[in-house]
Amino acid sequence: MSKNTAVHAPTVWGSEAMQNRISARYRKERRFRLLGLFAILLALSFLAILLFTLGAKSIGGFFQTKIELTIHFDRSLFPDLDGLNSDEASLALTRVDYAALIRQSLMDRFPDVRQRRDVRSLASLVSAGARQTLAGTVRQDPAVIGATQDIWFLASGDIDSFVKGKISRDVPESDRRVKDREVIWIDALDAAGKVKVGFNWGFFSSGDSREAELAGIWGAIVGSFLTLVVTLLFSFPIGLAAAVYLEEFAPQNKFTDLIEININNLAAVPSIVFGLLGLAVLLGFFNMPRSSPFVGGLTLGLMTLPTLIIAGRAAIKAVQPSIRDAAIGLGASPMQTVFHHVIPLAMPGILTGTIIGMARALGETAPLLMIGMVAFIVDVPESFSEAATVLPVQIFLWANSPERAFVDKTSAAIIVLLLFLILMNGLAVWLRNRFERQW
Amino acid sequence: MSVSASIFILILLAGAGFFFGRQRSLALVSGKLATLHSLPNQYGWYVGILMLLPGILVILLWIVFSGNIIDTMVIASLPDHAGPATEQARALLLNDIHNTAAGAPHSGSSEIYIQEAAQRYSRLKSQGVNIVSALVALFAVIGGLAGFRTIRPDLRARTHVERVILILLILSSVVAIFATLGIVLSLIVESARFFARVPLAEFFFGLQWSPQTALREDQVGSSGSFGAIPLFAGTLLISFIAMCVAVPLGLMSAIYMTQYSRKNVRKVVKPLLEILAGIPTVVYGFFAALTVAPFIRESGGLLGLDVASESALAAGLVMGIMIIPLMSSLSDDALTAVPEAMRDGSLALGATRSETIKQVLIPAALPGIVGAFLLSVSRAVGETMIVVMAAGLAANLTANPLEAVTTITAQIVALLTGDQEFDSAKTLSAFALGLALFGATLLLNMLALSIVRKYRESYE
Amino acid sequence: MEKTPKMQATNVHVYYGDNHAINKVSLDVFAEDVTALIGPSGCGKSTFLRCLNRMNDSIASARVEGKITLDQQDIYDPKIDVVQLRARVGMVFQKPNPFPKSIYDNIAYGPRIHGLARNGEEMDEMVITSLQKAGLWEEVKDRLEAPGTALSGGQQQRLCIARAIAVNPEVILMDEPCSALDPIATAKIEELIEDLRGRFAIVIVTHNMQQAARVSQKTAFFHLGEVIEYGDTADIFTNPEKEKTKDYITGRYG
Repeated sequence: MSKNTAVHAPTVWGSEAMQNRISARYRKERRFRLLGLFAILLALSFLAILLFTLGAKSIGGFFQTKIELTIHFDRSLFPDLDGLNSDEASLALTRVDYAALIRQSLMDRFPDVRQRRDVRSLASLVSAGARQTLAGTVRQDPAVIGATQDIWFLASGDIDSFVKGKISRDVPESDRRVKDREVIWIDALDAAGKVKVGFNWGFFSSGDSREAELAGIWGAIVGSFLTLVVTLLFSFPIGLAAAVYLEEFAPQNKFTDLIEININNLAAVPSIVFGLLGLAVLLGFFNMPRSSPFVGGLTLGLMTLPTLIIAGRAAIKAVQPSIRDAAIGLGASPMQTVFHHVIPLAMPGILTGTIIGMARALGETAPLLMIGMVAFIVDVPESFSEAATVLPVQIFLWANSPERAFVDKTSAAIIVLLLFLILMNGLAVWLRNRFERQW
Repeated sequence: MSVSASIFILILLAGAGFFFGRQRSLALVSGKLATLHSLPNQYGWYVGILMLLPGILVILLWIVFSGNIIDTMVIASLPDHAGPATEQARALLLNDIHNTAAGAPHSGSSEIYIQEAAQRYSRLKSQGVNIVSALVALFAVIGGLAGFRTIRPDLRARTHVERVILILLILSSVVAIFATLGIVLSLIVESARFFARVPLAEFFFGLQWSPQTALREDQVGSSGSFGAIPLFAGTLLISFIAMCVAVPLGLMSAIYMTQYSRKNVRKVVKPLLEILAGIPTVVYGFFAALTVAPFIRESGGLLGLDVASESALAAGLVMGIMIIPLMSSLSDDALTAVPEAMRDGSLALGATRSETIKQVLIPAALPGIVGAFLLSVSRAVGETMIVVMAAGLAANLTANPLEAVTTITAQIVALLTGDQEFDSAKTLSAFALGLALFGATLLLNMLALSIVRKYRESYE
Repeated sequence: MEKTPKMQATNVHVYYGDNHAINKVSLDVFAEDVTALIGPSGCGKSTFLRCLNRMNDSIASARVEGKITLDQQDIYDPKIDVVQLRARVGMVFQKPNPFPKSIYDNIAYGPRIHGLARNGEEMDEMVITSLQKAGLWEEVKDRLEAPGTALSGGQQQRLCIARAIAVNPEVILMDEPCSALDPIATAKIEELIEDLRGRFAIVIVTHNMQQAARVSQKTAFFHLGEVIEYGDTADIFTNPEKEKTKDYITGRYG
């Protein structure tokens, strides 16, 4: 190698062209950095907008408009209860025309309303559930028959939306679900102090309903709970066992590779495909009960299984090999080592993965639509095999309703669902921090 | 007697077996543990497992096969005139019988033979459960006695028990394979039935999608048309829009977090972004339909554009937001896997950070980023609720993001919810769509996973 | 005759958080010399080297005190542009780190970002001369489009040296450039260093004392973040003043 004698001319950094070039490069640098910051802020602002929109809308769902009416329990409309035993009496009371009582009360308040059609729309100020409210009052205390009492009733869904300002007065009447006439009535009632907005306890204690003001999420919460129990009972033991096998006992061979590739791919299969699996195999082939938490839970269990296995393996892998060596060194069999030492140490990690998997299952909708959990179900489910719905499906069903009041209900149900998810994820984070071992 | 009751009794019996097995092993050596091959508990497990396993097997077989066996028996016992002629009639008939047996109030048929069949169905079912319970108990007792009698101090109880546990572990890990097999088989079988009615070429190349089937089979033009191209195109359009949102935002936020932000900022921002990933898709769907779609429609109106109320743009945008965290965290992994030396080498030459990122880090991390992109596409293609709620069902073949389109997943939901007809091409077409969806996402995932794996290995 | 140093470090301290990594180091680097920094591992020689082109800037917890000049100009002066500084003070790392690009693009990367070539021909020439100076031209001239990572370890390291040369630096810092290489590749690099001497001021960190003795004119012995002894290589190796230096050189520890 010969010495290259080419003149070594230093770069002229001070030249104007070079200095301009450098400042241009710095401008680009700043722009790029701002772009990154902008991307993050944009993503976070989407989150903020989403949560804010839903949060604001949900308030209407948690509160409910009520209307107070003076009801005269006109004795002539009630059967004679004398001489009847309690069963017969309550049967007789169910046949009472409570709607007439409500109609009468409203007509007394608005004496100029006489047209049949007008009376009907007047009566629809209050919820269809008002009849049940009255029936309940009478059942509790038959002594009210013949008396007069002020009672608060739920307003109907549209009136509720109107009172909360969700339906604007400024919209032309033809486009408004609450007509001018009804506006006048409700204003009159309001002026008399007969309208109030209160917390909607019924939302947390009742099942679904066609009437927005009566619809609640309790049925869906119970359905979700039953479904998750099945999911957990199915996927936790199997997921744990599979993770233990693959991490601790599986030989290095083609078959193990096959299982691993399979699990990784299964984890990324769209959830709706698991719904098709449930429909074709669980319902179609095994004839299991349609729409039931049992089938829903199994479907979601199959879906979460890969997540659980992957999380379980990571947790088991994180257990220091020295623990195993120590146990084996004391004469424990590999099986004993795993069950007595490795699994207990890996448990916090396994549980964290399980909770996160369950949270995902709790928010899942699409596969459950496939197995028929989309039915309209009023009753709160009581067993694993009867038709039920779950929280996200309930949200989906309500979201499809055109009534304004259901929009608020949907948002409120979403907030409840998100609270559950935050709770579960918080628990997972807490577990991870609490039991994180420092070796 | 019910199945759950027999499971309960089985567990009780096995518990007793465990106790006696344990006692027996202790009694045999009169308490001198050292002379036993295994621990007393292991002898207990040995007996318990011998009692449990056959019973569980019988119960599983019953759960899996009883429905079909009983159905066949009930159908066979029907009077000749009522026997179903076709597969479809058989399914309808069975449905009637099941409903009547379950005491459904609105079960349509009051035919006397259906009532009888329903009774027969219920009777067979309860007899079956009784037989199963008896079998379970019998096997448990036999297994228990056999186990109890074979207990000796030199019996390798632990070895036997551990072998059974190992087999159970292996079976558990095979469940995942069965799930895949189940998916593949059910999709293929149902799709094959679909393609028996609708030619493959029409499905994959047809431009017209209108799966309505007629009420009566002999009605003219009853077959509907099943050209899935508009669905594929709609899926691609929405996925494309989603990627236009998710890729730049996800990648840029990953770059900012790995290259620029301080550690404590990253600690806060990353979990916040993860929240976006944790929000259920039904919530996104509601948000898209309720807030984003009207917003786009109105802003389009201001610009003089005609925007459909269920536009591809709204669904795509919201789906993109949903995918940001996935894209971001996978790109994050890819960027952090690039060795520090690469970055230092570029900085030491006097490159600015952005020059280093654009010209060295991103090319170096490209396979990982491509993997992230493919997985994100796969997620977008398979996403269901957002498109069901915000994209609608109009099978338009268009590239205009302001129009309404429909997707594979939205159609699957539309076809399989609500009233279903047994065996109609309409219902079956959902499985053909499912097969196409599964195939596409599987391909994307396998490709992405193998790229990412190779990439990781290259820097290890 | 008193020479002006190319780079001059005066009372330099470096802290990583609470860890005091470099303690009051003063050192002159001369343009026509190869300066070797030796010492046991963890003694701070690499840390000091990275101060000379401000590579410690990217470590958030690092803090540098004292004064380091390049041609009498303080390189930690806020007015100094770090991009420009690093172009003038190049660096070669312990492990060869070619970019995932072609051989040509690896070399052209620096000139491109700094805009040193006015056209394609100039760029070609720069790439060729850099490769020639790094003694790699003959080996790669037929495959300039091959990826840089396809070369052998020694070739990769010479590629990295060529890459540094291409930016036309005044000083080249080498951080144990041969530690990942086999003896034959090491010999080639040493030969190259000898070749480059005089055109660039070279500062080389090495844990290999024979190497320091072979390639350098000046040697500084680092121990626990301090410079124990600094002087002509010949003196340090034959007649060290300090006991510690002697112990290290004779292999008593390190």
